[in-house]
Amino acid sequence: MKATISSLSDRPNLWPWLLLAPLAAYLAVFFLIPLIDVAIMSFTEPRVSLANYERVITGSLYQKVFINTFLTAGLVTLSCLCVGYPLAYLMNHSKPRTAMLILLLVTMSFWTSFLVRTYAWMVLLGNNGPIIAFLRGIGVDSPPQLLFTRFSSTLAMVHILAPYMIMNIYSVMRKIDPVLIRSAKSLGARGFSLFRHVYLPLTAPGIANGCVLVFVICLGFYVTPVLLGSPREQMIAGLIGHQIEEFLAFGMGSAMAMVLLVITLAILAIYHRRFGLDRLWG
Amino acid sequence: MRLIGVLVVVFIAAPLVIVVPMSFSDARSLQFPPPGYWLGYYHAYFTDMNWLRPTWNSILIATATMVVTMVLVVPATFALVRHRFAGKSIADLMMLMPLAVPHIVMAVGYYSFLGDLRLVHTHLGVVLAHTCLSVPIAFLVLSANLKGFDRNLERAAQSLGASPVKTFIHVTLPILRPGLIISALFAFIQSFDETVVAIFISGRDAETLPRKMFDSIRQEADPVIAVISTLLFVVVLVALVAPFAWRGLRNRIQMNASRSAPPAGQ
Repeated sequence: MKATISSLSDRPNLWPWLLLAPLAAYLAVFFLIPLIDVAIMSFTEPRVSLANYERVITGSLYQKVFINTFLTAGLVTLSCLCVGYPLAYLMNHSKPRTAMLILLLVTMSFWTSFLVRTYAWMVLLGNNGPIIAFLRGIGVDSPPQLLFTRFSSTLAMVHILAPYMIMNIYSVMRKIDPVLIRSAKSLGARGFSLFRHVYLPLTAPGIANGCVLVFVICLGFYVTPVLLGSPREQMIAGLIGHQIEEFLAFGMGSAMAMVLLVITLAILAIYHRRFGLDRLWG
Repeated sequence: MRLIGVLVVVFIAAPLVIVVPMSFSDARSLQFPPPGYWLGYYHAYFTDMNWLRPTWNSILIATATMVVTMVLVVPATFALVRHRFAGKSIADLMMLMPLAVPHIVMAVGYYSFLGDLRLVHTHLGVVLAHTCLSVPIAFLVLSANLKGFDRNLERAAQSLGASPVKTFIHVTLPILRPGLIISALFAFIQSFDETVVAIFISGRDAETLPRKMFDSIRQEADPVIAVISTLLFVVVLVALVAPFAWRGLRNRIQMNASRSAPPAGQ
């Protein structure tokens, strides 16, 4: 009897493999090979050596760009949190109809293409735009240059990535049992202490999710920094694109891409060990 | 907290709202508020092949990407959700990997890989690349739906004598239809919106709409972009609101129908 059971479970079930095979083969060819290509090019272009990595790691331009990218991603993540948390709170504490409307707005923003939103910020912050006109109106004679600065690209990235943060925080906040809040209040928790000891721990998973997602997307952001940012303060993705498009420097581009990839995967791997990757985008 | 929340609503809404009046502007450059209004840029968009061709390319590429993605993802999702086997967790991770790799890294890889295959600057090349990027999203949506599937319904059908194939066609597929449609829609949108890989590999022949918009914003900020933005915006709004409206309308029709017609058996 024991033998039959074990032989039954030992017999490999072919079905899942058959169903999985086409996709696995597809991803192996059209996803893994291009990635391996990048890895190989980083060591072999223009000739076999470690020179590309040496330049990426020790060159002052590249160091500056990497530091700039990290600082920007950190700033964008923090700003998204400051923007997203109050909004999630507002949604959670308003009438269902209002919450529904805000959710619709956030979803619309989420589904509107990056490019459209980047373009909209270009209009808003441009020299003929409403913000400069307003500044002139209140008596600022020589308004500052807003477009094509670090300010404009950071602001636009916060706007573009905020929906990720809002949805992550809102989804955990909505599940908080109101009884917990009421009992905390009856025990005397007010204002900041209510937030610090009740809200913050209960919403921590949503905050962690949102921050990891925003930070990681921001690290590899190409479109918005290239279009709105200052050409003198590039981010990694922009510099990689520049190397490929302008100089056809595949070796340098690939080496930087590999560094970016390793950093991104390391952050996600830490996250995966603690929470599981499938929850991040769920 | 509340006041900040209201300010955030304005912050999120303002850029979405501003492109609409911009698209009706008659200024030659970015100027807001516009000096006057007309439909000139709509006319320009709908008559200019330099804009219509990328639009058509994008629709074509996104449709093909959607079809290939679904053909690959549907069986794989069944395997991963319904079976336990050695290496399953690695397979699960593999499905999500394309989401974890920054698009700029993939763009460098595709530029060289598709270049070797002479597929760079072709529709096929873009479809092959976009399919990889659409797989994780289609998989996440579909697997969430499949996990919530009550398998007793299939067991009931089979206990009543339906063959596995019949069960699949008459029970499984109809129940999964909403999930399949949404999953396919996400795959389509992912491809339609994808910008970075398209910038590097679509070239002039297979130029997609996001690539054309990117180039145009970078070079001259053609106000036609406001027109496209408005059109895309309207599509999103309709797609989000339509299900609610449709449900409301259907309920009303059903209510009217049930009121006027006697509840006769079929």
